[in-house]
Amino acid sequence: MDASEVEFLAEKEMVTVIPNFSLDKVYLIGGDLGPFNPGLPVQVPLWMAINLKQRQKCRIVPPEWMDVEKLEQIRDTERREETFTPMPNPHYMELTKLLLNHASDNIPKADEIRTLVKDTWDTRIAKLRLSADSFVREQEAHAKLDNLTLMEINTISTFFTESLNHMYKLRTSLQTPEDGQTQEY
Amino acid sequence: MSNKESQGSANSGLQARYQASNLFRPNTPLVDQALSRPAERVLLLVAPDVDALCACKILQSLFQCDHVQYTLVPVSGWQELEIVFLEHKEQFRYFVLINCGGNIDLLETLQPQDEAVFFICDTHRPVDVVNVYNDTQIKLLIKQDDDLEIPAYDDIFRDDEEDEDGEDSGNESDGSEPSGKRRRFDEGAVERRIERRRQRREWEARRREILFDYEQYEYHGTSSAMMMFELAWIMSKDSNDMLWWAIVGLTDQWVQDRITQMKYVTDVGTLQRHVSRHNHRNEDEENTLSIDCMRIAFEYDVRLSLYQHWSLYESICNSCYTTSALKLWSVQGQKRLQEFLADMGLPLKQVKQKFNSMDISLKENLREMIEESSNKFGMKDIRVQTFSAQFGFKNKFLASDVVFAVISLLENAEKDESGTDNFIKALDSLSRSNLDKLHTGLELAKKLLRAIQQTVASCICTNLILSQGPFLYCYLMEGTPDVKMFSKPVSLCLLCKYLLKSFVSSTKNKRCKMLPLVLAAPLDVEKGTVIMVGIPPEVESSDKKNFFGRAFEKAAESTSSRTLHNQFDMSVIELRTEDRSKFLDALISLLS
Repeated sequence: MDASEVEFLAEKEMVTVIPNFSLDKVYLIGGDLGPFNPGLPVQVPLWMAINLKQRQKCRIVPPEWMDVEKLEQIRDTERREETFTPMPNPHYMELTKLLLNHASDNIPKADEIRTLVKDTWDTRIAKLRLSADSFVREQEAHAKLDNLTLMEINTISTFFTESLNHMYKLRTSLQTPEDGQTQEY
Repeated sequence: MSNKESQGSANSGLQARYQASNLFRPNTPLVDQALSRPAERVLLLVAPDVDALCACKILQSLFQCDHVQYTLVPVSGWQELEIVFLEHKEQFRYFVLINCGGNIDLLETLQPQDEAVFFICDTHRPVDVVNVYNDTQIKLLIKQDDDLEIPAYDDIFRDDEEDEDGEDSGNESDGSEPSGKRRRFDEGAVERRIERRRQRREWEARRREILFDYEQYEYHGTSSAMMMFELAWIMSKDSNDMLWWAIVGLTDQWVQDRITQMKYVTDVGTLQRHVSRHNHRNEDEENTLSIDCMRIAFEYDVRLSLYQHWSLYESICNSCYTTSALKLWSVQGQKRLQEFLADMGLPLKQVKQKFNSMDISLKENLREMIEESSNKFGMKDIRVQTFSAQFGFKNKFLASDVVFAVISLLENAEKDESGTDNFIKALDSLSRSNLDKLHTGLELAKKLLRAIQQTVASCICTNLILSQGPFLYCYLMEGTPDVKMFSKPVSLCLLCKYLLKSFVSSTKNKRCKMLPLVLAAPLDVEKGTVIMVGIPPEVESSDKKNFFGRAFEKAAESTSSRTLHNQFDMSVIELRTEDRSKFLDALISLLS
């Protein structure tokens, strides 16, 4: 899976927008949306919110968790805990990125939020690398990690599986010493 | 032709990306259809000047908001306009013309089908009367309070049977009403006929006079970008980006000296209200805006071109205002410059260094220092009202600097690229996401300003500006350095203005100070053509009205010189080199 596909999935997340136009209910395969009334908040998928925003047809209301105080708390618990803490949204990173890139004028303290989310992300990725390292080092057969988001799994998965493959190759070659001895130095 | 067009599909970038990654989002088109009524494709014809580009940008984003499909074609002159129209007229019903087409009888020139509708947003004045009074096919986007002085309908059109109304069909259908005419013959009354003819002759003479007065002077109205912005504002679709484009459009008019100082100040006032409406949230402690969002600020800045992207020294040496006031082309001028710098108390080392790297302590009240010293050196109005845009940590641009950058991209003569390529590049440089293009433009602008100043200096030092009686005349010889740059209309006009300003400040002859200037530069050596521009005199209370357009036409007519009035600005023409002297003689006798 590639990062853009994960982002694609994230765009199905619902966000609240305040439209500036009126439109009856729209019936879509993924579910009904609307009705849209100027000034009344309505839930739409992120992809639509961004499309409307780009066409200046709505104002996006930032998700509840996208708030400096809440994110500070999340970052601090993430740093404190050894294990992964639950995230406010399974697609927190993608949502932050998309919203801040396309609707930064609707989000108060956007710069601080960007930093906080990135800090949290960095902490979690560091933990992930650390656990991957110990996993390989101790030659474990299986591991269980809770509260990882799709994007995080996706970030590490290619690297991790590849490195396991390499480790496996190295180990099998170590166990057949006759192969190694054929080489003259 | 395919390379001539940039097909603008109003799809958002998002959707385009999904198409690229082959992920099908079946419901998006449905929503589009539901949210916006299906609209016909529109042909956008845009003249190559900065104001038109800015207006085009605003219109493009409005189209994007409502998913209107359009085709954008740059047109550099009347000929190209006609060709492009011929090529596209079958496919379109709606045509939008920006900064072109307003000042001639468009229906007469283009001969469109009856159902074609033209929306014209043009700063060129006077607007052709036929365009004004046609309300079916020509829609003009003009402010009510613009000083138009359009002649009354009855004074220029006659609706009685005898007179074909000349508005739609011209004189082709002369024989279409024989019965009416014959009846009048039968009624006899020869005297009444003679009387009517006399009246008609009088009316026609009066009509000619009125039209002559109306069309005599060429000038510019409210910036097209501002018109488009107000349109967006009325639709409540205006954004900070659009506002910035409107500002750049207005500043272009000011840089090119197309509007009076009075008009500039009034329009700046209008835009300033919009600026404070859009940028008021910054002060709020709770809702600080992201640094990436654009902030526009009204500023009093100094008339030094590009100084924030150059060194202060270079900027002073290459800005029109300072060079002409300090007379930098002379040895004494250079001395005055040193005194000026010393008076400001800025060390040479700092001044010659990149502005960005200048000592912070010096930069803090640099503007005040410059203003104070300028007053002592006779540069009383170095302060000017303008706007700046800031986004991110290191991007800050003054409106006038952006104008210079876009002009240089638009008329880039360095590479042999087609006008359309330059047009697209210039258009791109106005978007915030194409900063590299803007920076290229800024570098080119420095070259342009340098070339202008060097040419001005050499023209003045070698007395190339001659007084011809009713006007001043200067001819740039083939082989002069940078002469290639000045074969393009906007650069040539800029050079012409700077030259006149510098000449006025250098000459002691009082009469010469009041004269307009005609400047010619070689256009195409192989074809043996020159490009010629005439500008009104450089006086304080100038109304910026230019009579050279009509004068050029008349002079060409009377001498049957081979001229080409291809530019949308009537005061810029192309002329065969051999015909230059007889054309000038005619111009002199016409104007004296």
